[in-house]
Amino acid sequence: MPKLAWLIPALPMLAAAWIGAVYVIAGNRGEALEKSTSRIATAAAALSLLLILVIDLLALVQGAPGQIDFGSWLSSGGYDIRLSFTLDTLSLSMATLVALLSLLTLRFSVNYMHREDGFQRFFMVLSLFMGAMLLLVMAGNAMLTFIGWELAGVSSYLLIAYTFDRPTATANATRALVTNRIGDASFIIAIVLSLFWLGSAEWPDILACGSDLETLKVGLMLSCFLLAALVKSAQVPFAPWIARALEGPTPSSAIFYGALMVHAGVYLIIRLAPLFELVPELMLLLAVFGAITALYGFLAGLVQTDTKSSLIFSTTGQVGLMFLECGLGWFSFAAWHLALHAAWRAYQFLNAPGLMHLMGRSNRPVPRWLQHRRWLYTASLQRFWLDNIANWLLIKPVRYLARDTQAFDQQVVNRLVGLPGSASVVSSLAQWEQVKVGESGRVVGDSGDVGRGSGVAGRLMEGIATLLQWFEEHLVLKGGDEGIFNLIQRLGRNLEKVELLLSQPRYLFLLILITLIVIL
Amino acid sequence: MPESMTDTTADLRAHLLQVIEHFEHVLPGQAAIREFVHHNTLHGFQQLPFPQALATAHRVTGAYGYLPEDQFRRYYHEGRITQEELESILNDDPELDSGNVLFTAESEPVQRRNILLAALIHPLKAVTGCQLNWQIEERDALRAFQPDISETSRSRLLAAAARHGLTTEAEAVDDLWTACLHALGLDHYILHPEELMDMSPEQAEKMLSRVLTDEEQRGTSAMVMDRLIDREADASMETMFGRLGHDLTLSGLLKALTGVDLMEAMQPQLVRYIGSFLDQGQAAWNAPDRDCGFYAVWRTSAAQDMAWVFEGLPDWKDSIEALPDAPLDAVVIELKWLGLAEEKWALYLERLALDLPGWSGMFLWRHLRPGYEGLEQVKVDMLDYLAVRLVLERLVAQRLCRERWNIEASIDVIRWYFRHHQAEFLVRDTVYNSHLPEYLVTLAQGLLNCSSLCNTDEEQWRHLAHMIWTWRQSPASDRPAGYNVYRSAWPLFRLAQHLGVCGADIRDLEGSTIEHIFACIDALDPERAGFIWLQAYELHYRDQLFNALVNNQERGRWKTRELRPEGQVVFCMDDREEGIRRHLEEHNPNIETLGAAGFFGVSINWRGLDDNKVTPLCPVVVTPSHEIRETPQAGQQTLAGQHRRRRRLRQHLSDLLHQETRRNLLRSALLILLAAPGALAVLTAKLLAPLQLGQLSDRLRIAFERAVPTRVDINASEDRPATPQQPRAGFTDAEQADRVLGFLRTIGLQKGFAPLVLLMGHGSSSQNNPHLAAYDCGACSGRHGGPNARVFAAMANRPEVRALLRARGCNIPAGTWFLGAEHNTCNEDIRWYDLDQLPAASRQYFEKLSNDLAVATSGSAHERARRLASAPRNPSPQHALRHMLGRAKDFSQARPELGHATNAAAIIGRRSVSQGAFFDRRVFLISYDPSQDPQGEVLEAILLAAGPVGAGINLEYYFSTANNDHYGCGSKVTHNVTGLFGVMEGAGSDLRTGLPKQMIEVHEAMRLQVIVEADIDILTRIYQRQPPLQELIGNGWLLLSAKDPDSESIHVFTPGKGFEPWRGNISELPTVARSADWYNGHTLPLTPALIKTVATHA
Repeated sequence: MPKLAWLIPALPMLAAAWIGAVYVIAGNRGEALEKSTSRIATAAAALSLLLILVIDLLALVQGAPGQIDFGSWLSSGGYDIRLSFTLDTLSLSMATLVALLSLLTLRFSVNYMHREDGFQRFFMVLSLFMGAMLLLVMAGNAMLTFIGWELAGVSSYLLIAYTFDRPTATANATRALVTNRIGDASFIIAIVLSLFWLGSAEWPDILACGSDLETLKVGLMLSCFLLAALVKSAQVPFAPWIARALEGPTPSSAIFYGALMVHAGVYLIIRLAPLFELVPELMLLLAVFGAITALYGFLAGLVQTDTKSSLIFSTTGQVGLMFLECGLGWFSFAAWHLALHAAWRAYQFLNAPGLMHLMGRSNRPVPRWLQHRRWLYTASLQRFWLDNIANWLLIKPVRYLARDTQAFDQQVVNRLVGLPGSASVVSSLAQWEQVKVGESGRVVGDSGDVGRGSGVAGRLMEGIATLLQWFEEHLVLKGGDEGIFNLIQRLGRNLEKVELLLSQPRYLFLLILITLIVIL
Repeated sequence: MPESMTDTTADLRAHLLQVIEHFEHVLPGQAAIREFVHHNTLHGFQQLPFPQALATAHRVTGAYGYLPEDQFRRYYHEGRITQEELESILNDDPELDSGNVLFTAESEPVQRRNILLAALIHPLKAVTGCQLNWQIEERDALRAFQPDISETSRSRLLAAAARHGLTTEAEAVDDLWTACLHALGLDHYILHPEELMDMSPEQAEKMLSRVLTDEEQRGTSAMVMDRLIDREADASMETMFGRLGHDLTLSGLLKALTGVDLMEAMQPQLVRYIGSFLDQGQAAWNAPDRDCGFYAVWRTSAAQDMAWVFEGLPDWKDSIEALPDAPLDAVVIELKWLGLAEEKWALYLERLALDLPGWSGMFLWRHLRPGYEGLEQVKVDMLDYLAVRLVLERLVAQRLCRERWNIEASIDVIRWYFRHHQAEFLVRDTVYNSHLPEYLVTLAQGLLNCSSLCNTDEEQWRHLAHMIWTWRQSPASDRPAGYNVYRSAWPLFRLAQHLGVCGADIRDLEGSTIEHIFACIDALDPERAGFIWLQAYELHYRDQLFNALVNNQERGRWKTRELRPEGQVVFCMDDREEGIRRHLEEHNPNIETLGAAGFFGVSINWRGLDDNKVTPLCPVVVTPSHEIRETPQAGQQTLAGQHRRRRRLRQHLSDLLHQETRRNLLRSALLILLAAPGALAVLTAKLLAPLQLGQLSDRLRIAFERAVPTRVDINASEDRPATPQQPRAGFTDAEQADRVLGFLRTIGLQKGFAPLVLLMGHGSSSQNNPHLAAYDCGACSGRHGGPNARVFAAMANRPEVRALLRARGCNIPAGTWFLGAEHNTCNEDIRWYDLDQLPAASRQYFEKLSNDLAVATSGSAHERARRLASAPRNPSPQHALRHMLGRAKDFSQARPELGHATNAAAIIGRRSVSQGAFFDRRVFLISYDPSQDPQGEVLEAILLAAGPVGAGINLEYYFSTANNDHYGCGSKVTHNVTGLFGVMEGAGSDLRTGLPKQMIEVHEAMRLQVIVEADIDILTRIYQRQPPLQELIGNGWLLLSAKDPDSESIHVFTPGKGFEPWRGNISELPTVARSADWYNGHTLPLTPALIKTVATHA
């Protein structure tokens, strides 16, 4: 039976592929395809859940199957990446939770998304997400987990931008995606390190590496995983992306940010629990990040006036607590906390539109001593400026850098390779007028060439001749002072510009970065 | 502050307050969402005639008020609008002069009407160069007919062309195109814009000679082009700066010049601060100093805000500290600093408020209702809002201006800068405000996004400006003046094809005729075209409706009530009740149904057993003077106490779950751990078996809380006058008799009382629905009308009241009993009141009536199911009823019911006018008996009460449907309730007002046809007496007609002309035995039909 476990993530993914294919072939036929779409998605999800439950049952009787190998995926030299699942208590219970909550959300969406233009798109992405989450929790090695990790991220991106005609939605989706890239990069490094040092990315091998590797190496690898987890679970300082992720339809907010994806980071930490216990410094780090995030979520949550934000900050706070619990070494408590919290938030998020009618009274005000901390109120309302800091530290410099590079391209590179920068032909009536009036006799027919050569030698000679002519014209004919003076002035201006640029922090930063890369 | 300012402060404040008052006309006036009551979305423009109001609103708020023309064209092709109807509307508009013959083609006259019709039915839009190239290259447009040309037009054109020796389609069409170009004096060749990058001398010469006038050519000045460019830049600069304070703000100006939307920087700030300030109890932590006003709160926070350190606004703190304390001063200083002439302030502020209409509207709504929801400590003043908005705008504009041009962000400085950089202005203006070909956009972007690395000297701007200008003069662009291939020749070409006019005829046209043709097409601007379509659409429905009424003449029952009905049921006038009334009458024709505004003439402040505060149950315009409480029956005090305690406990637990799990950190964690397993089980059950879980939880709740038998305290305990300011508990006997008699008179029920008279209020229940109140009773301020029915019945049953009534000539038989009930329009459930007081003698009637009603409710559910795509197809009535029950309990259901969707008419008159016909739940039915109201006093009162309610519902649906993006609130699926007062899309959008897509998707956007069964003289007199009716009807917000009480003649009211007889076609209607026979198997709107009613009366 466990040999069929690969079907569990594959079924929803196949459903997604099917819906996608129908969409491509038959187009968006709106309501006509709603029934078949939702049926396929829910049937696949239900089958997945059923399979998991059977395996769960077997595990209860015979014990968890543990590592299951389906064969080799990539092998090159000494590296062999397997197609394998880890079916232990942790992953099985997580998978059950994922499948159940996804199924319920799909079911909810059948009515809720009825007649939406994006109905098929929504079900496709939700199915993909379900498959991705299942792969993430059941994968037997870091590589497969990473695939699930990425697919979940992509589907999150697609659903934040569900209403892609609203600029805010697309901007926020991009922001969430880009923030997540930081964690993804770190995840990849961790995989590379494990392949490099251990020759394997299988979870059991990684977990057992403590005995083979020096603590520093273990710590380095773990820090990379930790960073990935911090980003995915929206911990401070990466927290703001999740508050921006509420642009999608309510059921997607429920399952991505309330219930499942936000917990992926915690899951990764719990998966690596035995290793973390070897590195107390990282445990401390976990606790610190968790505690800060919990406070951040709590305080910012107190001032939120819209239902979804209020729920998401509360979620951030709870996930922060889970990190704190992990940091204190209470991994199994954190796992329980995770599962129960996921179930509760799914319920609460799906109920978000009607929360106002469920509330009997206004929210209980904060105590007086807190009420009058005016600065703290402002800070909470502005979400502790995490977004602004990220803008200032990363986004703006990168944007300017891009602009500088483009300008460099246009002004220097294009000229060097000889791409047309500005047209020297007649492209406006004014130019034609000039030609006619005769102010510039050099536009037509006279390109300033001395002669024309062909072949390498010819071109070379042509070049030399042109250069000499230029020299003559600018430095000699125009009279020493004017030509040379102009040239020097231009040089000076350009030097000034370079100096100006170098004084900008982004270039200083870039220089330091380059130096570091070279040294390492 | 300058001294002169303090002198005029009072004046200024008064002036600004006036300005703010005027905002009411342009900002959405929607209440906080829990108080949602349907109102005319364009209430602020109601003093204008309908088309003018829509045009004005379009100009001011940018929202078009008619359905898209394509939608109307679809209706046309579906036969929902016919050519005759369009023609009749065109004929009625003298301005269009549609009978005028413009020219004669092949001895057939072509009237303006023909051209107008062609332009309405087929889009004759201008194309762009690329679109025309595509038409020519891909669709062979110059050799084949356009695909939408009708067969008759084709053959006529071909026949005409054949007479001129052109035998094939290709020849005829090609000749037509040449003729069109020739007639307009144009030539056309396909030119790719990028060919202009490298012009040949001939090309350049040709263009130059065309561009320059003789004088300029003779001029010897070297740079004529430069002068032309400067002149053009100056002209468009004047236009753009002239729009400031008219339809442009500083942000708008900068957006037009840089493409940067300052709102992006301001909106998150504004939404967070306003949300927190106006919050009604969603957040645990609001600013402690909300009593100082929004401006002060924001200023305190802004001074502490560190965002500006990171956002590149180093002088932020100084700017904030330099702000004056009073918001009025801040507004004045900012406006002066901006450099705006004082007479433009009002419009500028209005424009500013319209930048975020939803939030501004909510702020204004609270500004007008101080102390709302007990939030007395929150001082909401619109002036605060404007001050913050102005300061914020200045600060972010400052940043942008410094970054881009190193100048201050005031109008004069910006203008000064561009006076000296005309080429740059021209480039920016064209890039951001018009279409440019790609090669120019790329070049422009290079200059606009330049970093400090490149030199953006004047020379480069000028060069690009010249290129753009050259492109604009070329045939590849869409030159604004004169005839043009894309804007003139192409529409003419298409028009000729539709008219079936061949090339030779076009060549014969004189210049003035062509001008007339284009004037005719241009007369159909979107506003006029939309209004013509709308009227034709309404006409189509109206004629069907009138035809049904004429056919139904003398068929309907209860005209004189000579026989005593078995039972009388008074429903709300609500269009949703038309179905259940029809089903009830079909099932038992001996029952008479009546309709009235669902508060049954009793305006009360209601306090139910479990309520903590009173709720007004009456139309919004009324403030009740009486308070009615629901109290436990005598002897039930202990039970009531237990109920109260248990209920409080349950509520406490519920709050613990819903509030505390998002408020705290550690306590939440604990609560979540405890609650999650249960939540998971509930969630699963809720999604898999919503109905069963819903019923179970209802049962459990009642079992736990214990149901308490109650009664309503209707009698006044003290004898002092009741006023809206000091409401009194209960009514005196005389007051009760007044209300009962008044109401019975209104509905024309003063004789022929049945043994049982049922008053049926209504409400709606659904889950997970922020717009819950929008489904409830409009006559009860968006709440349930059951208590009103109950109170009315209790009053009408009292012997003291009956005695008073008898003294006033209204003799209610002793055997008649009044009973109150409430119909749930979502799940069709009926809740009965005070059954324990029902006399034994009336019990048998009750049993019979409740059985009949049970059949009617399932019939109603059955009929509703046909319009719901997610309901079962062709269900049995029982199945349909179960579906509706489940729907109301299903929290994943975004359409628990369809509300008032498809409402289209109101019939004020006896039931005999409408009884026996199928109106598809589209008609408000208001009972009124003209034979008992010779002076029209009752009718006057009905029109004054029902007119605004009906118009409010109908027009809210109309606008939300016509333009859901602006007047409606978009799809529910991304909605996010904020502050308990409104919904946003996502977590930081503008507040969305109006109805969600899910409520209006089947609605037919048309104005309400009000048909009154009354003499036209009486109606005319009422109209002349009542300014509110003149506004609604005279301005065309409601369409009025009169049905003669004694004959089948119908008169239509036209503003300015009065009543004119209706002369529509009368055709026979299909007759069916049951409604279901007519609607079964149909999911779309249905035309009226007649229903055979077999009287079984003893």
